[in-house]
Amino acid sequence: MSVQPQMPRTWRTETKPHKFCPGCGHPLVLKALSWAIEELEIEEKVVFGCDIGCSLLAWDFFNLDSVQTHHGRTTPVITGIKRVRPDLVGVAYMGDGGGYAIGSQHLVNSAMRNEKVTVILVNNTQYGMTGGQMAPTTLPNQKTETTPYGRSVEETGLPTKGPEMVASISSEGSYVARGTVSNVRQLKKYIKRALEAQLNGNFSFIEALSLCPTNWRTNAEETWKFLEDQMSKYFTVGEFKTPAQKKEG
Amino acid sequence: MFMAPKPIEGEKRVFMTGNEVVAWAATAAGAEIMYGYPITPQNEIMHYWTRMAPKYGRKFLQTEDEISAGFTTVGGVLAGKRAFTATAGPGNTLMQEPMSMAEMMRLPTVLVVTQRGGPSTATVIYSQQELTMTCFGGNGEGMRIVYSTSGHQDLYDYTIKAFNTAWKYRFPTFVLGDGYQSKMREPVTIYDPEARNISMVPAEAYMGNPGTPGVDRDPVHLRNTYNMEEELLKVINDNMATYESIAPEIVEYQEEEVEDAEVLLISHGIVSRAAQGAMKLLREEGFKVGYFRPITVRPFPAEQLRERAEKAKCLLVIESAYGQLKRIVTDSLYGCTTTIKSYMKPGESVTVEEVVEKVRSLY
Amino acid sequence: MSEAPVILEAYIGEYASGKSEVAINRALRLCEQGREVTLVDLDTVEPFYTLRPLKKQLENKGLKVIAWETKETVGLGETGSVLKPEMRWALKRPGDVILDVGYGVEGAKTLNLLEGVFKRFPLKVYVVINTARPFTSEVSDIVEYIKTLGKVDGLVNNSHLGAETDLDLVQEGARIVSKAAKILGLPVVATTAEIQIAERIGTKDCMGHPVWVIRRYMEHSFW
Repeated sequence: MSVQPQMPRTWRTETKPHKFCPGCGHPLVLKALSWAIEELEIEEKVVFGCDIGCSLLAWDFFNLDSVQTHHGRTTPVITGIKRVRPDLVGVAYMGDGGGYAIGSQHLVNSAMRNEKVTVILVNNTQYGMTGGQMAPTTLPNQKTETTPYGRSVEETGLPTKGPEMVASISSEGSYVARGTVSNVRQLKKYIKRALEAQLNGNFSFIEALSLCPTNWRTNAEETWKFLEDQMSKYFTVGEFKTPAQKKEG
Repeated sequence: MFMAPKPIEGEKRVFMTGNEVVAWAATAAGAEIMYGYPITPQNEIMHYWTRMAPKYGRKFLQTEDEISAGFTTVGGVLAGKRAFTATAGPGNTLMQEPMSMAEMMRLPTVLVVTQRGGPSTATVIYSQQELTMTCFGGNGEGMRIVYSTSGHQDLYDYTIKAFNTAWKYRFPTFVLGDGYQSKMREPVTIYDPEARNISMVPAEAYMGNPGTPGVDRDPVHLRNTYNMEEELLKVINDNMATYESIAPEIVEYQEEEVEDAEVLLISHGIVSRAAQGAMKLLREEGFKVGYFRPITVRPFPAEQLRERAEKAKCLLVIESAYGQLKRIVTDSLYGCTTTIKSYMKPGESVTVEEVVEKVRSLY
Repeated sequence: MSEAPVILEAYIGEYASGKSEVAINRALRLCEQGREVTLVDLDTVEPFYTLRPLKKQLENKGLKVIAWETKETVGLGETGSVLKPEMRWALKRPGDVILDVGYGVEGAKTLNLLEGVFKRFPLKVYVVINTARPFTSEVSDIVEYIKTLGKVDGLVNNSHLGAETDLDLVQEGARIVSKAAKILGLPVVATTAEIQIAERIGTKDCMGHPVWVIRRYMEHSFW
């Protein structure tokens, strides 16, 4: 006898199984988003935008109106919608390349303008869909296809700490946090708070530490170790800005 | 449906610059939001839009760059609003990325281009060097509608029309002006479209319609990425077939004295005013000169031009660019044996006197 | 230097209202009276129909003109709103000074850039109004607009439709501008008209304001 686990209401069964690799962190982030939307009972209001890269595989993931945009451009598309439909809840979903490299100006400026949107950025330390190149989030000495001898900090600088940056430039009332797929309940809580911040008329930003066994070339145990031992050490998990200025680990 | 206060009832003869005309036309057309980024010579479109917007219940967003201005415009259209942006030169270059998304997804964006010198930063003043880019820019097939205006009345009429063409046919639509038209001042009749029996094609939301997706209705899933060549081929072929089938309804041109013309002057935009003036002077002197002006430079009135061109002895293509119009003309007339000459001044204006002199030299 | 008290006037107004046109004509007329006159181009917002291209022509008529020359600037419009150092000190010049001030939000504040602007009495600030422009076609709009400008000493009726201008339009403009001026408690300094129309109006417009004959120079200036 098999019992199907209960799935969030916005989980679109017609498009499952999804197209992400086995062991990928995206479905966990998307599920956390789903649960957060369900708890807030805002399915009817959410418009979901996804970027290019692995995030685009989410284009038909949900029972939500969704649009797949260009690399780095999801934030302005969702901003454009939200500016004329303030009654909607806009979610811009992207990878670390889309948010911190090619679309960094959009992330920075939407945060500066306190756009009433929620940006969710998945950090898996490299460009997954193009075959594992260095991303702004690649750790020092980490090997990728474009850093075959390990990322040199001297040549390429330090990994981007997005929430830290966004927290320092965003307005009061905005919400900024870094969660991890190793703690989905916490991640869901952060995403829920992010959506609440938007509902209260503010910008919110979530970075989710994620997994990419395919490009990391790791088995299950090593995958988890990389996330827990290496990524989580460099990228601090927690809330960086909350409307009430309360911090929580 | 959007019912914002009207900026004008009936019609009125007024004195304005071209950029102001665009702002008034967009307001009269019921545009709900402009997304924009500063660049000369487009700026006063934003200046006047932002002055009028709060009075007439419209919105404005100043973005971080033209890429964002284009993509937020895409967002505004997805949300079902008459949304537009305006740019020029290097800004138009950046705008090609969002416009290619609009082209692929058949989104009715409206972009007003006020051409300036190129390539690169060049001058902020004037040129016709953005013809190719506006018609065929991006990694696409030119599934766009481009109106080339020649003055203020055109700017008013075709800015209004651009919203209707875009929403009727669902292809990105462009108003191709230039820095001279932007800054020139001349009398123009502004009007409420309704007063001229022009009804505005309603805008419709692609996303965010009522009902819970997956419960009351299917969710909307929009994309511009395809997996396989065959899949893409079908999408492009279908869109192209639609584009080609509607092209005859969209094509517009102007012509004078073409019946017995030995020399046919071909020009678009503001240069056509010099060509038309020259044609009149030359006719008075007894030269059999005709005038042909494509108003839609994309789709191009190729058949109509061919019919006139085949009867002429010589075609003279006149433009403030180095052969951008000539390439379209040549392509449209493939097989026609009439000589094609050109008068090209990239980034500089063309006067009546110059055209007259050039035509005389052909005899 | 002129014997009579110096005339210091600034012409401000809406975009394309005809500020430059009125300023040029005013400066030339003073010049014809044998006065020493400096004309200053203070259009800093989006210089287009500015005095730049006309500089030489006006200097040949005896005016001193403080304006950039097109060839002296780089990337006009990108860097075009650069204040020429001489402009800052323009009011310290001997003789009459006529200022042509650009449009823009609080465009009149451009005057703050001039040294001694509030000290060298009496700088008169006149607003040029063309009622054929939709933002200033009605009394209430004109009043509302002028209230945003700060110090204003009078209005100039410069209503016209370019080559399509007719007598009625100018006289109707005079009536509208007069009403606005009355509400604001300001004088109407003049009604302007090109010679053909000015001759038909006479020396006073229908509201009794002096008529200034002007020649339109600006149509010939591009950037």
